[in-house]
Amino acid sequence: MTSTFTYVWLVVAAVVLLFPVLLTVLGGFLPSVDLLRQPPNLLGHYTVDSYLGALRQTVVPLLPAFGNSLFVGLVIMGAHLVTSCLAAYALVFLRTPLRTPLFWLFLATIMVPYEAIVVPNALFVRSLGIGDSPVALVLPFLANGFGVFLLRQAFRQFPGELRDAATIDGCGHFRFLFTILLPGCRPAIAALAVWSFLQGWNMYFWPLIISSTNNSLNTLQTAVFALRSNDSADPGLLLAGITITLLPTLLLVLFGQRWLVRGFTAGAVK
Amino acid sequence: MRTKLGLAALAVAAATAVTACSSAASSGTSSSGSGDLSAPAASALDGKGETDITFWHAMTGTNGETLKKLTDQFNADNQGKIKVTLAFKNNYDDTLSAYKNALKGGELPDLLQVYDIGTQFMIDSKATVPAQSFIDVDKYPVADIQPNIAGYYSIGGKLYSMPFNTSMPLLYINKDAFTKAGLDPNKPPTTLDEIKADAEKLTVKDASGNVTQYGFGASLYGWFLEQWTAVAGAQYCNPDNGRNGRATDVNFATDNNVKLLTWWKSMVDQGLALKLDSDTKNGDSAFVAGKDAITLESTGSLGDFTKAGFQVGTGFYPKINASDSGGPIIGGASLWIVGKGKDDAHKRASWEFVKFLESKDSQATWHTSTGYFPVSKAALDTDVDKQWVAAKPQFQTAITQLDNTKLSTATQGCLFGVMPQVRKAAENAMQAAVLQGKDPKQALTDAASSLTQPIKDYNDSVK
Amino acid sequence: MPRDDLSTERDVSAASTVGHAEFTGRPPIGPVTDTDSAAVSQSVINRRWNPRELTLTVLFLAPAVVGLGAFVVFPLFQAVYLATMGSDILGNPTRFVGLQHFQELLTPEFGAVLARTAGFTLMVVVAGVLLPLALAVPLSQRLPGMRVFRTLFTLPFAYSASAASVVWLLMLNPAMSPVNWLLQLVGVRAPGWTTDSGWALVTVAGVTVWMVSGFNLLVLAAGLAGLDEQVLEAARIDGAAGVRHFTGIVLPMISPSLFFVIVTTTLTALQSLGQPQVMTDGGPNGATSTLVYSIFNQAFHNNNSNYGLASAQGLVLLVVGVLLAAVQFGVIERRVHYR
Repeated sequence: MTSTFTYVWLVVAAVVLLFPVLLTVLGGFLPSVDLLRQPPNLLGHYTVDSYLGALRQTVVPLLPAFGNSLFVGLVIMGAHLVTSCLAAYALVFLRTPLRTPLFWLFLATIMVPYEAIVVPNALFVRSLGIGDSPVALVLPFLANGFGVFLLRQAFRQFPGELRDAATIDGCGHFRFLFTILLPGCRPAIAALAVWSFLQGWNMYFWPLIISSTNNSLNTLQTAVFALRSNDSADPGLLLAGITITLLPTLLLVLFGQRWLVRGFTAGAVK
Repeated sequence: MRTKLGLAALAVAAATAVTACSSAASSGTSSSGSGDLSAPAASALDGKGETDITFWHAMTGTNGETLKKLTDQFNADNQGKIKVTLAFKNNYDDTLSAYKNALKGGELPDLLQVYDIGTQFMIDSKATVPAQSFIDVDKYPVADIQPNIAGYYSIGGKLYSMPFNTSMPLLYINKDAFTKAGLDPNKPPTTLDEIKADAEKLTVKDASGNVTQYGFGASLYGWFLEQWTAVAGAQYCNPDNGRNGRATDVNFATDNNVKLLTWWKSMVDQGLALKLDSDTKNGDSAFVAGKDAITLESTGSLGDFTKAGFQVGTGFYPKINASDSGGPIIGGASLWIVGKGKDDAHKRASWEFVKFLESKDSQATWHTSTGYFPVSKAALDTDVDKQWVAAKPQFQTAITQLDNTKLSTATQGCLFGVMPQVRKAAENAMQAAVLQGKDPKQALTDAASSLTQPIKDYNDSVK
Repeated sequence: MPRDDLSTERDVSAASTVGHAEFTGRPPIGPVTDTDSAAVSQSVINRRWNPRELTLTVLFLAPAVVGLGAFVVFPLFQAVYLATMGSDILGNPTRFVGLQHFQELLTPEFGAVLARTAGFTLMVVVAGVLLPLALAVPLSQRLPGMRVFRTLFTLPFAYSASAASVVWLLMLNPAMSPVNWLLQLVGVRAPGWTTDSGWALVTVAGVTVWMVSGFNLLVLAAGLAGLDEQVLEAARIDGAAGVRHFTGIVLPMISPSLFFVIVTTTLTALQSLGQPQVMTDGGPNGATSTLVYSIFNQAFHNNNSNYGLASAQGLVLLVVGVLLAAVQFGVIERRVHYR
């Protein structure tokens, strides 16, 4: 196809697909009275009042919500890495009895979407009495069958000769794991890390339930919903608040595309 | 090897099934701490240092800001003794859902704001200290509370919760649009027919035939249906609106309701009314943006509406038939003090905050900033209030409407344990009739029958 | 080549096992046998089990087994149990109701929920794959500025479900919608995006498509970038041109990426709660009540606490997920061409 046609198509698509992004970012700089018109007046009087208002307001504190989202993302990332590394190692390098059935079991858990079992999990977590602690936000998600699968595949591809050489050198399991295996499988580990972090960061259903009894456990995702409930009459403030919650992922998309592709092609085998 | 594995798996499954049963069953029966449901005296706070209490509320926008202002003032006055932390819970439905979730072993708040229709459920949940208990302990002057309002929240003469933000529905008009259309901005329509007549003049189209301003636009909010039933002097649920004994079914498919939905649908079809869903936020922003000239909303929205870019006028809630003899229900929300799992200091602190919010000065501030009308009779006599109302007569409309309404089981409103679900079913019927073109009578009947099982389940479980 | 060029991600896919020799001729999850002596060498196999190694094995497996056992396997049994119990007004499962909840699943109302979920998923997957493809293909040409476009088109990926839903609510709000304004300019009367029961599900699906388009574009673009230039050249020389070139050569070559995008988009659609909850709250009159929304609604919303019914519906979701996975891996995946 001719390059003119390509450009025209891409520009039209960009305008259509990206107008919401434009509205999000610019809308925060406009007073609501300019926004509540059809069409919104994007050439109005630009101010940072809404951004300051969004940061200052105490109804839906955004900074603690950011902290919670970060906590959830990092903890789940760390937990997935640890549990998956260890389990995959056992499946590949240790003579685990029932290796095959165990692996299939791990695989089977990938089939279970967490929404299918959200009710028993919610009741169980509440009954533990940790409803006030951020731990409740992450507890059911510390282990993940997909992580085990991914790392097992990666470990299996690790050259056997290096393993043998290490054994002959008197390298024990732990030395081997930390000094040789993990550095050698960096791409897969990085992929799992990115994928797990984003899984945690993007969760909506679970934090919605957990934060319903405790506002301090709001994550950025549930905070956006609360912000809309409180400030629907003030779209400027609302959009400013949303832009603030989107900053981390916006930065990731703008500057971290390689990491993203890694994280997602890692999921390619699901 | 295979059979051994199979047997082992079976054993594991059986074991997990057994423990699954017991843990799921016990997850609800949390034996609470000290909290019983009695009301402690003022001495409960002595020597306790600062008592921190959490208040779950659903006040948004201007109302939320005013609440914060009042709370900050209370915290300043009670520094070192009581500190109130506000927790915004998005809306009334979510506040009640959150409370229900917390009852199962989460963190219960010390004080929560529950809408009128949650009253029966709150009583049945048996986890709160009735306001009456505190009133008796303190000899609180109940004569100051508006009797119509107290009447809603009292069962058998016992006041269960303290009314806080009391509202009635109002008709709001865009006065500038009325003047432009040649209508008298000081004579808002009073019946459905009048709304239609005015809407025909108020609907503005542009050159290509698109409507830029609709005559009428209101959210398909279940509360409005309850109001119209009361205005017609009818019972929303049987028997006696649940006021003299547990209600057992709902009265949806009445002639009045069918007439109402048919009217609404024809308004939409004729392009006189803006199509809206049941989310009042959408209806509010449409009115403020000038998308429609007549709307229905709570008097509690007056504060936000007066910030619009045009003159806002108020009128009485419209009647379906000119001959309707009832009046709107006192709605809004009230404050419930949680007793389960709370010690005396916390219960007492909650009551102190409640008393502060009920005081005539707080109520005067509340009234003049939000439009909710004062629970305290004395508040109407404060200078702040009198001056404000004199300058802005819109704030008087609700009060006049209240004075004109006789208290009866119809205007007391329906008391039902599953009222939130009932309201949702009513909204479904309204959406079906107005947005989906379903036959109104059928939609209302279907909605009523969808409630049979939940009502039965609820009543069975509270026997 | 500039460092940011996605074709350098080929080395990542080598490690991530997509399109790699490891999987030639076998489904990606591959038969697991003990003949992968690459990992455990002969000298080790001959030794008997020793207690130390056994302890290590248990220790290493314990975290994942406990985590998954307690929060995935165990809840499955609990869900079955809960599905047979009715709740009291506080939500405690106190009354045994047998198969009542499962009977409630055999009603036309629930059938409508399933139909809606199917329709929603179909719309999201078809549009969510075709649209990014229609963008990725032109983007794969070596023209100036393509990288900029690619970055721009990926931006919707930054939006969470709730953020996308709220922003689109504003975009479609009759009071301020630029979309409605544009439509008016060309003489089209905008429908009630969230109030028309016919449009509501389409709107929610549309927002979901918008949300996944960024990420899907990135993956498809990476797939296209990784295509072997020599093979494409050879095909062109051989006379394949235009549409045939595309469907006969390019599509099969990016089929791993396509498959991946289909699978993840299906999962995203099945698991979507934010969009129907924030935009329409399941309305109007249940028109956007998908399976996940229904579970949420029955268990935690609108003052409901029908944990039994919600658990039963959760089990249905599980079955749907497994079925879809079986279809995708059994049918579609077979046609994926791995290099």
